[in-house]
Amino acid sequence: MGERRFLLGNEAIARGIVEAGCEVASAYPGTPSSEILPAIAKFADELNTKTVVEWGVNEKVSFEVAAVASFAGKRSVAVMKQVGLNVAADPLMSVAHFDIKGGFLVVVADDPGPYSSQTEQDSRFMAMFAKIPCFDPSSAKEAKEMVFDAFDLSEKFMIPVMLRPTGRVCHSRQDVEVKEPIGIKRPADFEKDWRRWVCLPAHVRINHPKLNRKRKEICNYFETLDKYNYEVPAKSGKALLGIIASGVSFSVVMDLIEKNNWDDIAVLKIGTPHPLPIKLVQNFIDKHERVLILEETYPVIEMQIHDRTKVMGRWNGFVPEAGELLPEKIESIVKKALGKAEETETKDHLLDAIKDLNITPKKPVLCPGCPHRASFFAIKKASPRSVVPSDIGCYTLGVNQGAVDIVICMGGAVTAGSGLFNAYKVDGKEIPVVSTIGDSTFFHMGIPGLVSAVYNKHAFVLAILDNLTTAMTGNQPTPETGYKLRKNDVGRQISLESVVKGCGVNFVKVVDAYDVSSGIEAIKEASEYAAKNQLPAVVIFRHPCMLIKDRDKIVRYPVSVNQQKCTGCRYCITSFFCPGLVFDEDKKKAYIDERFCVGCGVCEIVCPVKAIEVERG
Amino acid sequence: MQIVIVGLGGQGILFSSKVLGDIAIKRGVNIIGSEVHGMAQRGGSVISHVKIGDYKSPLVIKEDADILLAFDQDEGVRNMDYLKRGGSALINVYKPERMENENLKRYIQEKDIKLYTIKGYDILKEHMGGNFLFLNVLLLGAMAKLGITDISYDELKESIKRLTPPKYVEHNLKALELGYNAM
Repeated sequence: MGERRFLLGNEAIARGIVEAGCEVASAYPGTPSSEILPAIAKFADELNTKTVVEWGVNEKVSFEVAAVASFAGKRSVAVMKQVGLNVAADPLMSVAHFDIKGGFLVVVADDPGPYSSQTEQDSRFMAMFAKIPCFDPSSAKEAKEMVFDAFDLSEKFMIPVMLRPTGRVCHSRQDVEVKEPIGIKRPADFEKDWRRWVCLPAHVRINHPKLNRKRKEICNYFETLDKYNYEVPAKSGKALLGIIASGVSFSVVMDLIEKNNWDDIAVLKIGTPHPLPIKLVQNFIDKHERVLILEETYPVIEMQIHDRTKVMGRWNGFVPEAGELLPEKIESIVKKALGKAEETETKDHLLDAIKDLNITPKKPVLCPGCPHRASFFAIKKASPRSVVPSDIGCYTLGVNQGAVDIVICMGGAVTAGSGLFNAYKVDGKEIPVVSTIGDSTFFHMGIPGLVSAVYNKHAFVLAILDNLTTAMTGNQPTPETGYKLRKNDVGRQISLESVVKGCGVNFVKVVDAYDVSSGIEAIKEASEYAAKNQLPAVVIFRHPCMLIKDRDKIVRYPVSVNQQKCTGCRYCITSFFCPGLVFDEDKKKAYIDERFCVGCGVCEIVCPVKAIEVERG
Repeated sequence: MQIVIVGLGGQGILFSSKVLGDIAIKRGVNIIGSEVHGMAQRGGSVISHVKIGDYKSPLVIKEDADILLAFDQDEGVRNMDYLKRGGSALINVYKPERMENENLKRYIQEKDIKLYTIKGYDILKEHMGGNFLFLNVLLLGAMAKLGITDISYDELKESIKRLTPPKYVEHNLKALELGYNAM
């Protein structure tokens, strides 16, 4: 056995990608996929490969960069989260029709739950939609193994292949064996052939039937791929229940069988849900009287089965149609399928204690010292009646301060400004709007909306909350920073102000987010400009994210709440919502929770009676 | 052995599970676990599962865990149903009077849970200038002393040395010792 390491699922996938000889890797960060690309860079540095590893400015960019590197013969990978694939859906649908050259792997991480997403959509359906094959790993180890087979399959059938881990695979940790790269040589060699590389409708008429043929052949191949699709017979030799399971649900079921000594259950594991090895599945269904299907998150396997009469799944409400299939949920579903009664609850006293103590799950909140909190406070103060659309990032948590009214998807804050403007314009009215978007999100998909708003003359304020990083997903660099992933690789820095001006915006003001007074002034000025000139105005609130500051160099001011002055009005709680500033329900006064306060001192300006005191020494 | 670690985002829970994983690797046994990243990490409830032995799924099933490590006392109470009968809980307490709740005591008694508490914040305030970032290692030290796992102090020390960035090694080892001596 080779060297074993305790790797995050995402690191295991990355290791597989480097070992399998992938030479071009591109991604846009998004939970739960974000750690894959940095790990590719780390392993490429360690193994001294020449792999190009880059953050794309969005998923469409990353997909296309990787796809065309494959046209030139290189093994390549594009990595994203499920909603990122929506952004890259255009090239996905198109490239699926091509006879690609180098192996092209698309890693799409899904988020059942969801924990950190605006949807819990199932990307396996996107693979089905595009008619490309999809692997669904049940563990970190298996995910790494699948990377090799996915590249081989991609090259054999000249088709993009999807690897779809869920968050529980991405963020599981497991001991994983690591090896040396397989050392394949694929010199870049783009062969001109307009029939092959140009998606003219005339070519689609040839390529679509060809894609259908590929799908059929791959389906046949999956029927015999017993490494990932196999049956685990019932221990008793006679199964009362058959379970078809994929992904982490398979792993959970296997642990539950062990825990509960369920000897009468046979399991069919499916690692390739699309195209479904239908003969294998039908044969398993035929053998069993009752069959349960467990898969996340949509019924992808289930819907490919022709006759579902015997099947317990989502179509007949046996398995919930939304949410993560947690072990407790699966345990109760299997018990129901076995006809076993649920045991009565034995934890009443604990539930009572939780109720007595008023304990609820803690909701996510902006970090203490987060510059966004200060920006939101300034915006609300300057323009209290504005509609405040926002975007995808940490700052979505501005909802806690009542500073976020609309969030749709990446870049949606800018276009929300346009939508509101137009809706009221029809009635001859105007509505004040201050949209907020992060720096990385602005680069990702904010730019087209801003160009459109300038061109069409939409009056609203766009506040770009520039914390000089992609914070929510783990502080990946933005184009402003010049940082790249491979050792000694440096990017050319792009100025955010210049991009905004280049979009045609004439009013651009930059303030330090911690300087709340200047922030208030800037929003007021921008609002006046927008209303007067009937054009968008931009304010950039700049201050580095707490998580990228050098911990040893952060200036910490002692902060306290003067208990005599505090009137208990709670304004600081509702308008600032900082974990370091909390309310004592017994004393009816605010106080500083030293466990969380980082001493940024910004809250000083928040208190209407000046009870928050900061020693700036 | 199945361990559930709970707390709030930013308390360094991920580092603790990394340490346990590193020890399992050194011992040559299988380990699997699950952690939380992304939005949930921002100050919200965080849970990390660690399973040492031949398991397939990364998640601990409720009422099946041997040990609950709680960096935050409310999170510890909220997740106590992860513990199996006779399991052990090590909880960092901040408001000890809340642990005196009658219903809680009854549950702990009924389930035969061995409850250990540590005033982590007080210790760090007294000995480490109030730097609460070392809470994770402090709790690991306390866990070693209690003998609720077979993981030794020396194993923890070696692993923490391996995994800590050089400039924090000394601090982490001090916190480990403080936790060990506190029990």
